[in-house]
Amino acid sequence: MRRRVALAGAGLVAALALVTFPIWSSEWESSRYATTVLRDMLVLGILALSLDLLVGTTGLPSLGHAAFFGAGAYAAAIAAQRLANDNLLIGLLVAMVVAASLALVIGIFAVRAAGIFFLMLTLAFAQMVFALAFQAVDLTGGSNGFAGVQRPRLFGLDFSAPDALFELVAVTFVLVVLLLWRVRTSTYGRALVGIRENERRMRALGYDTTRLKLSAFVLAGAVAGIGGALSGWSLRFVSTNDVGIGRSVEAFVSVLIGGSGTLLGPAIGATVVLFIERVLSSSIPFAETVLGVLFIVFVTAARQGIVGLLATAYSRVRR
Amino acid sequence: MSDRPIRLTRRKLLIASGAAAVAAACGPAATPSPSASSAATASAAATAGKALKIGQLLPFTKVYAELGNSMKRSTDLYLKQKGNKLANRPVTVIYEDEANDPTVGAQKTQKFIEQDNVDVMMGIVATPIAYAVRNAIDSAKMIFIETNAGGNALTRDIANCTPACKSKYIFRSSFSSWQISSPIGDYFATKRGVKEAFTFVADYGFGTESAADFTNAFTKGGGKVTGSLKAPLGTADFLPFVTQLKNQPTKDIYSFFSGTDAINYIKAWNQLGMPAAGYKMNGAGFLTEQDVLKEVKEQAVGAVTSLFWAVTLDNAENKAFVDAYQKEYNLLPDVFAVQAWDGITAVDLALQATKGDTSNKDAFIAALEGVKFKSPRGDFEFDKTTHNPIQDMYIREVKVQNGAAVNTIVDKIARVTDPGKPTT
Amino acid sequence: MTPEVAVQQALNGISFGALLFILAAGLSLIFGMMDVVNLAHGAFYMLGAYVALAVVQRTGQFWLALIVAPLAVGALGLVLEPLLLRRLRGRHLDQVLLTIGLSLVIVDVIGLVAGREIRSLPFPAGLDRSVPVLGGDYPVYRLFVIGFGILLAALFSYVHRRSQLGALIRAGVDDAPMLAALGVDIDRVFAATFGVGAALAAIAGVVAAPVFGVFPGMDVDALIYSLIVVVVGGLGTLSGAMAGGMLVGPADTFGKVLFPQFALALIFAIVAFVLLLRPTGLLGRVRITR
Repeated sequence: MRRRVALAGAGLVAALALVTFPIWSSEWESSRYATTVLRDMLVLGILALSLDLLVGTTGLPSLGHAAFFGAGAYAAAIAAQRLANDNLLIGLLVAMVVAASLALVIGIFAVRAAGIFFLMLTLAFAQMVFALAFQAVDLTGGSNGFAGVQRPRLFGLDFSAPDALFELVAVTFVLVVLLLWRVRTSTYGRALVGIRENERRMRALGYDTTRLKLSAFVLAGAVAGIGGALSGWSLRFVSTNDVGIGRSVEAFVSVLIGGSGTLLGPAIGATVVLFIERVLSSSIPFAETVLGVLFIVFVTAARQGIVGLLATAYSRVRR
Repeated sequence: MSDRPIRLTRRKLLIASGAAAVAAACGPAATPSPSASSAATASAAATAGKALKIGQLLPFTKVYAELGNSMKRSTDLYLKQKGNKLANRPVTVIYEDEANDPTVGAQKTQKFIEQDNVDVMMGIVATPIAYAVRNAIDSAKMIFIETNAGGNALTRDIANCTPACKSKYIFRSSFSSWQISSPIGDYFATKRGVKEAFTFVADYGFGTESAADFTNAFTKGGGKVTGSLKAPLGTADFLPFVTQLKNQPTKDIYSFFSGTDAINYIKAWNQLGMPAAGYKMNGAGFLTEQDVLKEVKEQAVGAVTSLFWAVTLDNAENKAFVDAYQKEYNLLPDVFAVQAWDGITAVDLALQATKGDTSNKDAFIAALEGVKFKSPRGDFEFDKTTHNPIQDMYIREVKVQNGAAVNTIVDKIARVTDPGKPTT
Repeated sequence: MTPEVAVQQALNGISFGALLFILAAGLSLIFGMMDVVNLAHGAFYMLGAYVALAVVQRTGQFWLALIVAPLAVGALGLVLEPLLLRRLRGRHLDQVLLTIGLSLVIVDVIGLVAGREIRSLPFPAGLDRSVPVLGGDYPVYRLFVIGFGILLAALFSYVHRRSQLGALIRAGVDDAPMLAALGVDIDRVFAATFGVGAALAAIAGVVAAPVFGVFPGMDVDALIYSLIVVVVGGLGTLSGAMAGGMLVGPADTFGKVLFPQFALALIFAIVAFVLLLRPTGLLGRVRITR
């Protein structure tokens, strides 16, 4: 019990530190660049966390999750422009609804398959979404991308300034973590884990596993859509890269390196992946090789990811 | 006594930078005269000696990596020739990879602005990335020389600034896709008397813009575009498309493709015997640029394209440029190298005009606007309204010269400048 | 579209389909034998093309490249399987994930070593002309590709029919200790399978290079096409790869020409459609989903 309180306290402190990062970091970091990098890590983190609901919790390996991320990004951006409304809640709502709807349509078909077939179906559907985003030039800007995305406002709060936007992203990130934590610890979440462990047994026990898988798929899609909306607002731009296979693989690699099936693993993984891809790449020309090697090492030797390694180290120390 | 040394130093500094500017203007391998450099070191505390930071965002991975490498080679060569100093300021160039991803491009741009505090930013090959960072660059008042991306919107007045629009801080040393595609449309209709044309382009921003601008100009000139075809970007197999082209009557085909697509297209064109059947390949210059010609070689013979440069262009600067590039890298330069070269030349000359001062943005912008020089492509200057180059467009034809297939200049459309607002 | 044009396009579709079959064969083989979707398939394909480029640059011999490339890449596969995949024996999904990492490394190393320029392979001498076929000129090289595909298919089915090994290996995937107890060195067989699959990908890289080109990012395009073909035609069987190629090739060809707007989406719609009706692909062997 005390451990739980301690953990909750630590979580609260960490969340507060994260959200107030721009304030206490301005001492040693006069430029806002570190804030920008951290912001992008949090956005990818949200995508990775949403993906892990499928990969880690339910055991559904999706290689097409960026489709919902990008759909949310486009939806929020297009809606703000077409409706001439930059209300934060409207933007988030539109992003979630569009992403969830897309996830519903794709999920109805995808969850009928399992394992490798599920992987390939999600890949195929994501490529379709990519193709559509590329072709629908009048709606999405096509290959040129969607520029001039308005940053949102909420009852007088304007999120245009970099620090304000960071706060928005950080708070949303914390809320997403809390949401997913609640999901995972609920009976619903345990049912999902049950499906991961042994779907046939769950069915025998009377669970409608197809409906459960579909709901997880839609929920994961909705959360990814939120991440997408944040991405569009952060960059003020949405491109076809946001629905592409590269983004999906990035998220998947983040989940695995960080630790699939854990609360914060995917977000930690996202931090590592972006560090290698964006920061390390400025210093060395073989950053992708480093990422690939790291990924291989984790898959073969540390399947539980960084969180798994930390957990093992912690339990060893305690003994 | 306390302000005397400063006044003396400043005058020496002016003399030193003036001498350096004159020396630099006199020839490619000029170095500052000994007296000037000693004066410069003596006045190290003054702004002349302060390091100049240039941020270059170019692709070094993914599909456009070859362009990024070519442009880096060109920039490095220029700086080497200038003793790594521009307007007597030692230069540090920070290269970052745009990785064909606007998200990466946006972050690296932020890095240049916020962390590296570069004085000037240059580069960007892919138009979507340029569009993505246009607002960030404008808000940060960062002087940016676009050295490739040719999306028309970047240097035009566009309603709602979507997908982009011009900015007083943004200059372009390459081209607008209109410049490549429109003059040749008019040229074919009016000068060559071509009555009908068919367009076949890559289905993405540059391709569709090119087809639209060509069609517009060709039609205005009295011609008729009888049909159009589009191939997805990165098409694997061009045979089906060329088969369609062969089964329609219009012989003059206008195309936009680049890189691998151009190579595969030209190969398929020849395999299906299009030249023998009387079809003519015309297009935007990138269809037959160096990266393509080195692979297809004689298969491109007969292709007529429009571009503001060819490796065979006969002027003193181009000869010197091509020779120097070849000597340094054992490679022929391509148009991308020229774009980068002219970009850094413009920065150099503008810096000399402001005596190395980059802190006064408006003065630097005015200096850039006033830049005029002889580039490997001919006379180079920026259009003061759009900040896009005013340049000659050459009509080139691929011919075999000295055993190699090259673009030879067959005609010229003088002093083409982008209209600055949408024409279609 | 006139009938003549339709026939020409059909021929285009078939030759493209043959290329797709050759491309997908290695992927299908590895899945059929090891239950692993080798997502590094595109990377091996790319490696084969770059090795061929090196060979042709030095010797000008396309046919030599066609031998050297699969040997080199096959050897790599032979080494990588015991090194990395073996410890994940039985964890099929993790093996698939590992191949993702492998692909990242191989592709980046190729870029670092061979450079990132756009290249192409010239058609080999003798095959670079066109011959009159059905009233128009048709490239001999495409006819060669069709012939090569048929040869490969014949070779495969001969080996498959002749050897009991295929059946034994499939059993081994489900119950390796049992097979080992029967005296088969299952480790060596799996390593060889992965090696052969990689070699096949490399052969595809060489054969396709004069048509598709050699450039950064070619691995992703190839992998996506391969996945489409094997999923549609049927994972794990040779006839599946052939069926997939013969369906996707013409569909892609006609789709691009008739409905250019939807061509990209069309192919994936076909994939999704097939997967829904027959999750194992049109001719795939029956598998119980997990």
